[in-house]
Amino acid sequence: MAFKIASSPHVGSTLQTAKVMQRVALCLLPGIATQLYFFGFGTLLQIAIAVITAYAAEAAILSLRNRPIKSTLADNSALVTALLLAIAIPPLAPWWVVVIGTLFSIIIVKHLYGGLGNNLFNPAMAGYVLLLISFPVQMTDWVSPMSAAQQSVDLTYALNAVFNSASDILVIGHNLAIDGSTMATPLDTLKTDLSMGMTTHESLAKPIFSGMAGLGWFEVNLAFLIGGLIMLKLKIIRWQISFGILSALFICSSFGFLLNPDTHVSPMMHLFSGGTMLAAFFIATDPVTAATSHRGRIIFGVMIGVLIYVIRTFGGYPDAVAFAVLLANMCAPFIDHYVRPRTYGHRSGS
Amino acid sequence: MLTLLEQLDKGSLWQSPGGIHPPELKQLSNQQAIGRLPLAKQFVVPIPQVGEQARLLVEVGQTVLKGQVLTEGTGFIYLPVHAPTSGTVTAIKAVASNHASGLPVLSCIIDADGYDNWCDLITSDPAALSNDDIITKIKQAGIAGMGGAAFPTHIKLNTASEIDLVIINGVECEPYITSDDRLMREYSNEILKGIEIIHRLLGPQRIIIAIEDNKPEAAQAMQQAIHLSKLPANSTRVTVIPTKYPSGGEKQLIQIITGKEVPSGCLPSQLGIVVQNVGTAFAIQDAIYSGKPLIERVVTFTGKNIHQPGNYWLPIGTPVAAALELVDFRPSTTQKLIIGGPMMGYAIHDPYVPVLKGTNCVLAPSNEEISPDSDEKACIRCGECAIACPALLLPQQLFWHAKAQEYDKAASFNLQDCIECGCCSYVCPSDIPLVEYYRIAKSALRVEAEEKVLAEQAKLRFEARLQRLEDEKLAREAKAKEAAEKRQANMKSSDKDAVAAAMARIAAKKAAQSNEANLQSIVKHDANDSTGVDKKSAVSAAIARAKAKKAAQSAEQFSIENNATQTPSNTHNPSDSVVEGGISQQNLIAAAVARAKAKKAAQNNQAITSDEAVNGLADSSTSDTDPSLNDKKAKVAAAIAKAKAKKLQQTEIASDSADTEPNEDNSITASANGAMAKKTIADDNTDPAEQDKKARIAAAVAKAKAKKLQQVETSNVESQLSSSSITLEQTPNLDSAVLDKKAKIAAAVAKAKAKKLAQQAEKKD
Amino acid sequence: MITHIFVAVAVLTISAIVFGIILGYAADKFKVEGNPIIDQVEALLPQTQCGQCGYPGCRPYAEAIANGDKVNKCPPGGTATMEKLAELMGVDPEPLDQVAQEAVKKVAYIREDECIGCTKCIQACPVDAILGAGKLMHTVIAKDCTGCDLCVEPCPVDCIDMLPVETTLKNWDWKLNAIPVTLVSESLEER
Repeated sequence: MAFKIASSPHVGSTLQTAKVMQRVALCLLPGIATQLYFFGFGTLLQIAIAVITAYAAEAAILSLRNRPIKSTLADNSALVTALLLAIAIPPLAPWWVVVIGTLFSIIIVKHLYGGLGNNLFNPAMAGYVLLLISFPVQMTDWVSPMSAAQQSVDLTYALNAVFNSASDILVIGHNLAIDGSTMATPLDTLKTDLSMGMTTHESLAKPIFSGMAGLGWFEVNLAFLIGGLIMLKLKIIRWQISFGILSALFICSSFGFLLNPDTHVSPMMHLFSGGTMLAAFFIATDPVTAATSHRGRIIFGVMIGVLIYVIRTFGGYPDAVAFAVLLANMCAPFIDHYVRPRTYGHRSGS
Repeated sequence: MLTLLEQLDKGSLWQSPGGIHPPELKQLSNQQAIGRLPLAKQFVVPIPQVGEQARLLVEVGQTVLKGQVLTEGTGFIYLPVHAPTSGTVTAIKAVASNHASGLPVLSCIIDADGYDNWCDLITSDPAALSNDDIITKIKQAGIAGMGGAAFPTHIKLNTASEIDLVIINGVECEPYITSDDRLMREYSNEILKGIEIIHRLLGPQRIIIAIEDNKPEAAQAMQQAIHLSKLPANSTRVTVIPTKYPSGGEKQLIQIITGKEVPSGCLPSQLGIVVQNVGTAFAIQDAIYSGKPLIERVVTFTGKNIHQPGNYWLPIGTPVAAALELVDFRPSTTQKLIIGGPMMGYAIHDPYVPVLKGTNCVLAPSNEEISPDSDEKACIRCGECAIACPALLLPQQLFWHAKAQEYDKAASFNLQDCIECGCCSYVCPSDIPLVEYYRIAKSALRVEAEEKVLAEQAKLRFEARLQRLEDEKLAREAKAKEAAEKRQANMKSSDKDAVAAAMARIAAKKAAQSNEANLQSIVKHDANDSTGVDKKSAVSAAIARAKAKKAAQSAEQFSIENNATQTPSNTHNPSDSVVEGGISQQNLIAAAVARAKAKKAAQNNQAITSDEAVNGLADSSTSDTDPSLNDKKAKVAAAIAKAKAKKLQQTEIASDSADTEPNEDNSITASANGAMAKKTIADDNTDPAEQDKKARIAAAVAKAKAKKLQQVETSNVESQLSSSSITLEQTPNLDSAVLDKKAKIAAAVAKAKAKKLAQQAEKKD
Repeated sequence: MITHIFVAVAVLTISAIVFGIILGYAADKFKVEGNPIIDQVEALLPQTQCGQCGYPGCRPYAEAIANGDKVNKCPPGGTATMEKLAELMGVDPEPLDQVAQEAVKKVAYIREDECIGCTKCIQACPVDAILGAGKLMHTVIAKDCTGCDLCVEPCPVDCIDMLPVETTLKNWDWKLNAIPVTLVSESLEER
């Protein structure tokens, strides 16, 4: 008689990668719902396109790489990447934008670097940056929040906008602009206004800035914050990175705001507009591309927070989340190399 | 700021980093009292391994009594083993070990006689014993740490450091295991007696009995026992610590109790702390008070596939399979059998392994409890492992490097501080068997370190050897120089000597060169010597020279690698060829020449100090018939020569000294023997025995080679065997019986070679 | 105008002299004794002293590598050593020029019954790991044997075997997958 052998430990916890990813996706739901409420069905379409593209691309490249397809697809990592990218893209952007972005994320950023666990950059953010650089017009045309446009972007409208032929896109975009149903994001508006010599007070008087930090954007960010707190509670993510980002951003923006309120917006504005909360809880916390030690993660988070503020305030782009995350991704191995926890029995002195 | 002692008295606890909370599942086995199973029929007692300097005291067939010591040893870490029951030693052989590898180790197999008779036990009162006596008794009882690592206890109790704190480890943090729990509940007074002895030996200021808060009954029992014990008041306390795995690890427990960390690579005793398991304390008590060696322990049998789970007293050496039969074990198809707990225990594949001193649990889980192994997936660097790691390592980095086999980089992340507790693997969402990677990496590092030491050693030895060879060379040169000077001095005495010396010089020179040249020089001065004797002999010498040359060439073709074997063939062939001339007169002359040659050779021997030359000539004189095997022709010639010589003897009654000899072979042998004797006087360090040996070697080699060349059948081998034994018998002052034996061995070797050749030939066919 | 040229020439000259002095001083002060690369190379070599590289021992080969010889001549070190050497020397790894020995470490073993005591293996051993005297039986000191194979060839009676080092509990490498396992059900059926 002989028995099965295996290395100890023989028991393991049940929280597995696929489940972790699944929970991340679930925790995105409040944010997605809020976004749908304020910006219409476009986001839903983007999500559908992105998810389908992501799975198809992943399956194709896995078969090319001779890796197990079914079990890898089941880990849900492609789902999370697709969701994050789709959320970040303007709801009424043409379909090919999100397809290109997803393909780039999955094939080049993720699999050409070795697949899950080996990619240096956050796939969703790398895809987003590619799109932002390549298609600046499409990527900055956001639907104006529902209440501001006084009309909801219904499903047919969204379908029409997303799937109309390429030649029509400019026209439609133009029409939409005329309709007043698309406009720049609050951060974009602010940037433009400041560059035109307006003070923050004048700019913030615009209707788009109604509410705490831009109409609709505040609520969306709040929803992502709630989702993030649920993840913290479920111990899917740890507090270090999110804390690092938010505290750094808060401190930097407070400093700027106190120094010169005319050219700097309030910390509230920074924390609750753009993609701050999404980045702090869902994007920067992607463990693959973050630093791994506790202290390293705080440094990583602080770095992203500072970069967000710096790029938003002094850079050419209105929002900076994607750039900040990618820059910090680059530094993660470096941080890991220099920030190691003190091993048991290794006193700092000895 | 409170002092450490005050903190200890208060029961302050510190936080140990990391750790996990796996399901405990202790209620499976801790519900009933420790039971006793019927005695097994056969016991397997592994004996100390190589390097532990132990000697077996029993042999197969011997009857032993329960508790009888089976081995004797002197090593510091050596622990004796004892017979677990009375019976007969039926075998001493390698059987599968109770180890993760399952590799066989040498073990005593004891068939129980069923009477379970104790040997004489010496009970004693610790008060009457000195500390050294107690330590010796503990060692004699073979007590090792019962927590799993089985480190010899007498070493821990005999530490040179000043011990302030003794921690009695009753934490038992592994899920499932309850052996210490039950032991504390039922034998608290005995454990306290053991603790008293530990207290006496180490004299600590405090003794802390650490128990996890999931064992309140055990904590209570121990608390009561403390009141009943003779330990100084307030020196001992029970500290209940929160349940967390791996609080029971020595380093973690020290951190929880004292807040101190054991420095990497150090022992706790350097902090003045000793940790002992409760089971060990019990065993110490048993060894001192009742004189019983450590031959049984409490083992937890648990898991859903064991239908009578619980704790049982089992004699050490009981096969696990025998015990499993008694606890209603029903294996499932993909059954795992784990020795120890689910976190750190190892799975065994062969159940016929013995229970050891450190075997605290046998776990037979059902598939629902412990799921079949799932496939390893990609690491997502989630860092959960780093959070769970009690040693504050970065397991994902270690894994990264271990998987890439960059073991030195893994070592730079303090791989050596990993305690293999398994927390990282437990929390890993990707089901990566991290600990397995670390173990492989650790063993690779260990091998690498060992190889480095070995390489360093090899280098030193190599350098030492080079130095030695250099020294020898210098010494040889100096000797040669000295000898040359001596010869020069002798040369002045007479012309003849001068010639001889010149010859010797030439010979000495040639000795360093090829033996072909060597041969020629000898033949040459053969010719010179014989010039004055006869014209005909000169002719024969010329013929001999030519033949010798030819023979030398053919010998070269055979490419016998060493001088020793070549020389004889060359020196012999001329005499054979002379015989071949067939002229009876010349025969005698040739014999004379040969004698003269031998004489010269003897002189040369005296002159030439080079060892190689000496050996070569000695070989030539003793193994002179062997080369005849080199070619058949030579053999035939020898036979003819013998016949002719006989004839000669009959027809002519010549007056020369050579006439008394039956044939020239013998004459050569005789004179060569003379030469040998002379040389022996001249050269102390080469005794005849050694030369004989050399000759035999030469014979063996020549035989083997000849065989290869001729591709002969066994019949030929036999003829060679006989001829070789004849040759050897001809050589005086040797024990012929010994020679026969040696020759036989040589012949056997030759036979083997022939066989090989035949096989090769067959293959070719 | 002309003064400018002179000034420039003067400044350059002075600075050249100054830097020359500094360099000269540094060369003297921080002089490196010997050739450290040889030691580094030697540290990587397995020290079997087998001579399969064509050099009489590891040190000479290390010197040769330092002087630009190829790094792929060490079969006992195998591909791992070759790669390390290539990395150290900054050259491209090349496949070994001889068939690498199996990864298993081996030591020589003399079948003592058959040994005739010829001392040839003793002379061949580069690390003096064979013990014995003329006419007397020889034996290999296993712990000092580097497994270089050099003693096998000279033995006239072929009584030397290269045996793999036995795996014991002490040197077992935890590769659990290497343990052959049969499932319970299969073995139960056998009964």
